[in-house]
Parts: sequence; C-alpha cells; structure tokens
Amino acid sequence: MFRLEDEFRTLVERGAESFDLTLSESTHPHPDYSDYDDDDDDVSADEDENFIPVAQQITDYDIVIDALPAGTIGDLHAIAKRMVAAGYVKECSHAYSACRREFLDESFSRLGLQKLSIDDVHRMQWTQLEDEIEKWMKAINVALRILFPSERRLCDRIFLGFSPADLSFMEVCRGSTIQLLNFADAVAIGSRAPERLFKVLDVYETLRDLMPEFELNFSDQYCSSLRNEALTIWKRLGEAIRGIFMELENLIRRDPVKAAVPGGGLHPITRYVMNYLRAACRSRRTLEQVFEESIDYRKGDDQVLSSSSSLAVQMAWIMELLESNLEAKSKIYRDSALCSVFMMNNGKYIVQKVKDNELGTLLGEDWIRKHTAKLRQYHVNYQRSSWSKVLGVLKVDNNSTSPSGASKSLREKLKLFNSYFEDICRTQSSWVIFDDQLRDELRSSVSGSLSPAYRNFVATLQTVPDFGKNADRYIRYSVDGVEARISELFQGTSGGKR
Amino acid sequence: MPITDFHEAASSSGFGFSILSRRRDQVHSMESTHEATVQELELEAFQKQVADRFQDLAAAEPDELLSISWLRKLLDAFLCCQEEFRAIVLKNKVHLNRPPVERSIADFFDRSVKALDVCNAIRDGIEQIRQWQKQLEIILCALDNQRSIGEGQFRRAKKALVDLAIGILEDKEPNTNLAHRNRSFGRSNVPKEQKSLGHFRSLSWSVSRSWSASRQLQAIGGNLVAPRANENMSTHGLSMTVFTMSNVLLFTMWALVAAIPCQDRGLQTQFHATKQFFWAVPILSLHEIILDESKRRDRRHLCGLLKEIIELEKCARPLNELTDSVHFPLKKDKEVELKQKVEEMGSVFEAIKDGLDPLERQVTRRRKSMSGNLLGM
Repeated sequence: MFRLEDEFRTLVERGAESFDLTLSESTHPHPDYSDYDDDDDDVSADEDENFIPVAQQITDYDIVIDALPAGTIGDLHAIAKRMVAAGYVKECSHAYSACRREFLDESFSRLGLQKLSIDDVHRMQWTQLEDEIEKWMKAINVALRILFPSERRLCDRIFLGFSPADLSFMEVCRGSTIQLLNFADAVAIGSRAPERLFKVLDVYETLRDLMPEFELNFSDQYCSSLRNEALTIWKRLGEAIRGIFMELENLIRRDPVKAAVPGGGLHPITRYVMNYLRAACRSRRTLEQVFEESIDYRKGDDQVLSSSSSLAVQMAWIMELLESNLEAKSKIYRDSALCSVFMMNNGKYIVQKVKDNELGTLLGEDWIRKHTAKLRQYHVNYQRSSWSKVLGVLKVDNNSTSPSGASKSLREKLKLFNSYFEDICRTQSSWVIFDDQLRDELRSSVSGSLSPAYRNFVATLQTVPDFGKNADRYIRYSVDGVEARISELFQGTSGGKR
Repeated sequence: MPITDFHEAASSSGFGFSILSRRRDQVHSMESTHEATVQELELEAFQKQVADRFQDLAAAEPDELLSISWLRKLLDAFLCCQEEFRAIVLKNKVHLNRPPVERSIADFFDRSVKALDVCNAIRDGIEQIRQWQKQLEIILCALDNQRSIGEGQFRRAKKALVDLAIGILEDKEPNTNLAHRNRSFGRSNVPKEQKSLGHFRSLSWSVSRSWSASRQLQAIGGNLVAPRANENMSTHGLSMTVFTMSNVLLFTMWALVAAIPCQDRGLQTQFHATKQFFWAVPILSLHEIILDESKRRDRRHLCGLLKEIIELEKCARPLNELTDSVHFPLKKDKEVELKQKVEEMGSVFEAIKDGLDPLERQVTRRRKSMSGNLLGM
C-alpha cells in the first residue's frame, strides 16, 4: 500500500511538472489595453475581459486537461480506487492535495504573487502597491477562471465518485484562495488616502466580477467558508471606498482657510476636487453599487437632485463642503469685491466641470441652475461693492444749485471719481478671472454701467460755464480712456499703472 | 455624582488602585467638568471589566490552561473587551483629534493590523493541527479496538505515528526543505525520504518565508508605554484606555502564539504594564505561568504549548516506542498494551475534534471584528 501511495504521488508530481511550463506561457497576459482613455487617472473596467478573450479561454482549458495526460489520470484513478477500497482514503487524499497545493503555490509565484502579510501591504509605497494590485488582479482571474476549475476537473476524474473529491479539492485550493483574499483584505483595511480610490475600485470590481466564479467553484459544503470570506472581503472593500470619500470630505473640511490665492483666482483645492470627482464618476456604475449598500442619510436632502441615489447624495454633500470651505476662504480677503471675484472664479470652474459629465447627471439640472444663479449673485455683489460708490459720484443732479456751486461740487466729484477710479483700476487689474468668457462679461458689465454715467457726467461738466473751458485740465480720462482702463481689469499682472 | 460613590468604587476594586485614586483626588480638588468625570467612570469600568475577565482566566486549573477550551474563553474575553473599547472610543470621538490621543489611537491601529497577521498565522496553525487530527484518525482506525491488528494496518499506523511525532516536535528549519523544493524546478533533486516525511508534516504556510511570529509580537508590543499622569489627565483618561486595550491585545496574541504552532514562534516579548495597574495583575501572572511552562525541558521541543498538543505528545511517544519494539506476530499482552495507549489517544482526538472548529471560527470572528473595528476608526 505504501508503494501504491508513492506511485500515486510520483504520478501526480510528474504530471504537474510539465504543466508549469505550459501554464506560464499560455496565461501570460496580453498587454492589450486598447480600451484606455487618454485621461491619466482613468481605469479601464474592461481590463479583465481583455485579459481572457474568448478564444484563448477554450484553448487554455484544453491545455489544462492534457497537462496530466489522460493515461496518467487513468492510472491515478485506478490507484485511488484501490487505496480507497483498502480504507486508505486519507493517505490518498493527502498525497493528492499536498502535491497539487505545491503546484498551485508555484503557479502563483510564477505569476509574480508574493506572500504578503497585511502589515507588508500597509507599509508598502503606493507605487509598489499599485504594481502588486495589478499582479493580483491577473492572478485571481487565472485562479478562479482557469486553475481552480481545472483542479476541480482533475479531482473529479481521479476520485470519480469517491468521497475525498470534495474535501481534496478544498484542501488544494484553500491556501491559495486565502492568500489571494488576504491581499484584497489588506487593501480594504489600508489607508483611505483619496488617490487610492481608483485602484481600490479595481480590486472591488475584480472581486465583484468573480463572485459568480466563487459560487461556481466553491459550491460544495467544505468550501462554503471560502465563499463567505470572499463575500465579506468584497463588502469590506465597499466600506473602504466609502471611507475614502469620507477622507476626501475631511481633507476638504480641514483645508486651511488662511491660504488665500492672490488676485482671487482659482484655488488648488477646487481644481483638485473637481477633477477628482469627474474621474471618480467615470466609474459611476460601480460607485452606485458601493453607495447603495450603505444607509447613509446625510445632509443635503433639501437639495433637489435628479437622482436621489446615495451616490448623488454623497456627491452633493462633497460639493457643499467645498463651497463652505471656499466661502470661508473668501472671507480672508478684506475687500468684499475680491471675495465675490474669488467666489465667481471658483464657482464658474465648478459649474463648468460639472456640466457635460456624469457628475452633472448625478447632481442634476436643478443643481446646475442653482449654482449658475449663485454666480450671477456674486457678479451683482461685485458690481455693487466696487462700483456703486463710483456711480454715486457720477450722479448728476440736474435741478442743482447755483452755477458756481454746481461747478465746485462737480469739480469735487471729478476729483473723487478720478481717485476712486484710479484706485480700483490699480487694484483690480491684478485680480484674476481665469475664464475668458467670464472676464469679458464682467468687463462689459462694468463698462456698461460706467461708460454712460461717465459720458453723461463729462457732458454735464462741459456745459458748466465756469468750468467748461478748463475742463480738460481736470478731466483725466476720456470716455474711451475709461473703457480702455476697464478692459485692463482682471489681467492678473501685478501693478497696472499706466 | 457624589464624591462618596467614587471612594466606594475605589475600595472595592482592591489593591493597586493608587494611580487612579490619586488622580481622582487631584481632579476633584480642581474643578472638573461633568464630562471629564463621566469619562473617568467609563475608564474605570472598562479596566474593571478587563481585570475581572482576566482574573477568571487566571483562575483556571493548571491543566486547563492553554487548552482549546481555555483559548476559546480567552478569545471571548478579548472580543468583549474590544467591543467596550470600541464603544468608548466612538463615544469620545470628539477628543480623538488631540495630539496625544490621536497618536495612541494611530498606534493601536497599527498594532491591530499586525495582530491580524498573527491571526492569519494562527489559522494556519489550526489547519496544521487538523492535519494531525487526520493522522490520529488513521492511527485510531488502523489500530481499531474491535479487531485484532494486522501487519498491514500496523505498519500504516506506525507510519502515521512517525509523521505525527515529527510534526509535533518543533523543527528549527521546517521551511528550508519546502523552500528548496519550491525553488527547484525539478523534483528529482530532493531525496525521496525527505519528501514523504515533509508531506504530512506541514502545509506551506500562507505567510512568506521571512515572516516571524516573534517579531510580529515584538512589533505589537513596541513602544507600548504607560501614559504619564498629566497626559492621562489632559486626555480625560483616554490614553489609559488605549494603553489598557493595547496590553489586552498583546497578551491575547502572545498566548495564542504560545499555544498554537506558527512560523518562528518566540515568546520573549516584553510586557510593559506593571503590577501597579490593578487590571494588569492577572494578565502578568498568566504571562509568568505560561512563560515558565515554555521553559520546561520537556516542553521546549514542542511546536506549541496547546494542552491538547502536550497530551498528544504524551500519548504518541510511548506508543511510538511500543510500536518500535514490537515484532509481528504480536504477542497478546503487547496487543492489549497497544490498544490501551490507542484509547488514550482517542480521547485526545475527541477533544481536538470537538474544539478545533469552534476555535477557528472564533479566531475568524475576531479577525472580522478587528477589521471592522479598524474601519470604524
């Protein structure tokens, strides 16, 4: 019986050797990433399907079956039959599983998979972890789509109808499955830094797409714990993704208010968050799935959203946080006109980035409309705080006092106008409006209200008898000059002195 | 909260309450907020729980210590402590952002992650014990009490016994054989005897070759120092809570490693809690007892101090000697002796069989709750 056992073992091992080599060639991934978009932080959700194209799958299964040649399988089956009949079930099963387990072990190390502890994963540099995740994604697909099914088939053929089939299969696959799942677990428990989102999404999607394979391969009673473990870890990855968004919220909330952008321009955090959310929304389907799993009734339910999905709520909330942070930042500017400019800049950027994008669909038309209206409000505020006193100065009272009194007050007004206008132009030419359209809008609205008033004022000046002849001495700006200065506003260059 | 309540609580908990009571007096001499008092109550309650639970564990009979059922009690105690700890932390979330507490929570998180790895290794160890269980089944089946023992069955049992014995005794280089085998592409390099011996002995660990349980334990216990009194005051006792829980974590992991086979078991970990903390007393005494046990000459070669493993070894050795000395055909008295020994082994087997699955489930559950815990923070 011992001789039988040894022969059994040898047969299994010998067959396995030749498998190694063919396996590494046939399952080497094809770098066919034609589905990648041109954006940097995009993730191709189709990668898995690319990796195992249909034609190759059939061929691989053929190779798998032949790896232990039919003759060998037949012999093994005969031996197993005798061992089982003699009551040596355990020895037989153990010899089998030990060999196949080693084979799987080697296969995985050939796929580049290391045995990493959770601690190892946590201490890894992010770039290294990204590589490991790539390797893992390939390995787990190979495992569940090729290796484990083939082991199942082998098991079934050798232990045709005998009891050890299920148990042996479980023993063969258990170690590798746990190793693969542990890695996913380590990723799930890891850091919640927002830049990790896309890779964690990868792991989540890989596991999600493999759930049917888990059900299929591990359908028997012994493997139920493996199935459950896979499910648990998959859910945990969902939690991790939600955690990443929470971390993003924290980052936004904690972004220091003191760091004012000179000239009231676009703040880096606005840029970061908007681009981040746009990129994230490309994986909208998966994110919807992730967020539906949590019952998270958060603020923002007074907002009217196109979809009331949890993901939409989350996105709206992040936008609200961003806006609050920006508003707090705007208060740093002592000039309230600059506050408004700052809010306009950032608001415009936000609305732009939201439109024509999944993010816009999530937040809905109403949201966009509301925020566009806010922009207009800021515009009005700007106008009022900067220019209302200037316009006030230019108001000409036609039912005025005596001509000499009128002349004097007009002269005062002119002086005031000149100094106000000079100040504003000096200050505001270094302010920034990043969006061309917005800049033009602002300039034209300013000149639209200022030019006629000034023209009127100048005309009035020239009718004043006392004054009119020397008017040119006092009038610093022609109407065209005023318009020219206005067109220099918001250029963002420092100093704008003429 | 009348002051009298505190004093009563203090006296009932016994010795070693010095730090807490001293501090409380200080706190009451200043004007403390109501909030601070509540937290201190929480801390006290928590520490009392820890003390009580571990007192229970320490009160076990010497032959119950480190048995499967005792380990299960340990894990239960740990889970309860962890739940309470978690509740306290969540309740005091608002205080967590302050520097000393933030740091210690972050440290605790790190320790928990390392402990997760230990749990994984323990699962492997349990799996290994399952393999022995199988060998036991072979032996019991082969040397079945009902019929007389045939030569074939005898040899079969003998082989399983030898494998079992090798497995139980700690091998200082268990993985080099496997390592060589994994590296070499051709199997013919390794001699046949080594192969067959190795097969039954160990599964390939699911951890890498360089992973070490003792290093991991030391990392869990690294930098674990008691918070100074003023730090503790400023954090309303939270630092102390974290320190207490960290010690509970460390001890639980340490005890598991002591009991169950895993890669590079070493028990030299330092415990920084001292007897001045009343809750640490039972923990430290357990630590001492187990450490002494590990140093005993007849225990040193075992790959794990689990009571059932010790029992197993006790049965296996004489059985091995007996089977060595016996020749076929068996004399009647030898056969009787053999069967007797087998029966003893049978009862150990039952204990293992019944206890192992629930133990593994608990380790898994605890692993899950630790992960959940981490995510909650």
